[in-house]
Amino acid sequence: MDEISIILQILFWGLYAGCIYILLATGLNLIFGVMKVVNFAHGEFLMVGAYITFTIFLLTGFNPYVILLLSMLALVGIGAVVERLCFRPILGTGKLNEIFLSIGLIYIFQNGAAMIWGDAWQSVKSPYDGITVPVGPLSVPLDYIIIMVVTALILCGLYLFLKKTTIGMQMRATSQNRKGAMLVGIDVERIDVISFGLGCALAAAAGTLWVVSGQVFNPYMGAIPAVKAFAIIILGGLGSIPGAIIGGLLMGLAENGAAYLLGGIWKDAVSFIILIVVLIIRPTGLFGGKEG
Amino acid sequence: MTALALIAAAALPFVTDNMFVVNLAVLMLIAIIFASAWNLLAFSGQGSLGHAAFFGIGAYASTLVAVSLGITPFITIFIGAGVAAVIGILIGLTCVRLKEWFLAMVTFGFAIIVQTLVVSVLAPMTGGWDGIPSPRLVSPAVPGYQLIEYYAILLITIATIIAIWYIMRSKAGLAFLAIRENETEARAAGINPVQYRLLAFAISAFIAGIAGALQIHHIGYITPELFGVDNSFWPITYVILGGLGTIAGPVIGTVALTIIWEGLKETGMTFARYVIIGIILILTIIFLPKGLISLPERLKEWKEQKKGKTEMLLPTGK
Repeated sequence: MDEISIILQILFWGLYAGCIYILLATGLNLIFGVMKVVNFAHGEFLMVGAYITFTIFLLTGFNPYVILLLSMLALVGIGAVVERLCFRPILGTGKLNEIFLSIGLIYIFQNGAAMIWGDAWQSVKSPYDGITVPVGPLSVPLDYIIIMVVTALILCGLYLFLKKTTIGMQMRATSQNRKGAMLVGIDVERIDVISFGLGCALAAAAGTLWVVSGQVFNPYMGAIPAVKAFAIIILGGLGSIPGAIIGGLLMGLAENGAAYLLGGIWKDAVSFIILIVVLIIRPTGLFGGKEG
Repeated sequence: MTALALIAAAALPFVTDNMFVVNLAVLMLIAIIFASAWNLLAFSGQGSLGHAAFFGIGAYASTLVAVSLGITPFITIFIGAGVAAVIGILIGLTCVRLKEWFLAMVTFGFAIIVQTLVVSVLAPMTGGWDGIPSPRLVSPAVPGYQLIEYYAILLITIATIIAIWYIMRSKAGLAFLAIRENETEARAAGINPVQYRLLAFAISAFIAGIAGALQIHHIGYITPELFGVDNSFWPITYVILGGLGTIAGPVIGTVALTIIWEGLKETGMTFARYVIIGIILILTIIFLPKGLISLPERLKEWKEQKKGKTEMLLPTGK
């Protein structure tokens, strides 16, 4: 293969990996924007979403892209319960407490999943497995293109939801000024539950797309993508959804570039090296403002 | 209370000649050192999610020095800890200006970077994923080596706790506290936050390095799994359960959790054990934010609240 197609290949892989990170990071940003809560266990929701898709797929054999919606719906419920039982009681008691609580959630979700589904590696076979489409000089799996389209659709849907619906506007109001939102009669606790659920649903979408693309998964797979999603929102700016999209794409590209140039073992480490370098230069993140 | 704990620890090998129990006690002592190290850093307001990095660096440095120079592990432990402290200062330098969870991210990522280095670039030295044998603290050829090891580690644990107690009460400890509570005010009072945060990082990494080196010289083999996320989370769990920012907290938390953990093992649980630990951790954070150490006070508070409620319900004579 000549050099140009290798570069194109890396770009394409980066774009695909970026889609998953974008969904995860956008969910995190939504939760942070509204609640100012840092949920380190966000990757566990990705993992649970993946397993729910997997289970429904085994039981019914539906097209996994259709199951995506069911999985997202299930995660709205799980997310709402977690918010109500775990995060609301400690809201406002300090950032460290939120981090520690997330560690407890990580223990519960990872090993709870291992109790239900076992800890072996699993995979879901997409109905479009093996079909490739020519894109310029490359021939790429059809699944990757569907994943990019689905990601774009979800993001557009989210945008419309935030801009046009009453709940979406209430969410934006709460995120801008919590006290002000309370004063104009918005039930901020209800908005918290909805935002957390929505953030978890985006994680479930990321998880489903992750498994549909042919990646293997097990109960412990969520930790690393979650931390990368954190790196992305630190790079892209807290609470900024466009920042999360740009950061996600950059992360996907950097990672796949590094894997090609330095070897696959560096894939995870390189994202943290980028993060640390950026934080040394700008302790509030690339586009970060006063928040944090 | 302290005296009782000391007597119990000293007498343990006389009460039981079951080497499994002694071995467990050794690992528990090491966990106490590790948890205390993490606790000291958290005391200065910096919650690390990657303390396994310093634990592992101490262990690897100590092992490599002991193997290549043939020095007794009793000395190389401190060399390893010194290496961990230097690296702790370096990572601290990137962290001093960061907010809580940026710092958590950087430390978490740092442990992964170190692990990647150990299995890739440094693999010829470290043996990669397979690991390398590490010299035992006390050679198994010595009669009663397990007891010597137990008492040596017990002494180091006590020395560490006394050192941390001293640091927390010293001027540096007060500075840590001031920075944690309000950095701007601390600065106004003439405290240099950067300097003291780095100091906390260095001491904490040094002690974590000691713990790592001790564990590896006790087990006799070292692998990169030492840098795992699990190993970073354990000290946090111990400290939160026992009581954050106190001397006794890490000790109580480690002992309590080890007993629960081993007890659950008896019932044949595997994954469920972790789920229970997670539930205990979350319940502690919500209902007992100051840890087990504050349990007597909290019980009193709850009782008074209950009494207050029943009094209100009673008819006020009329």
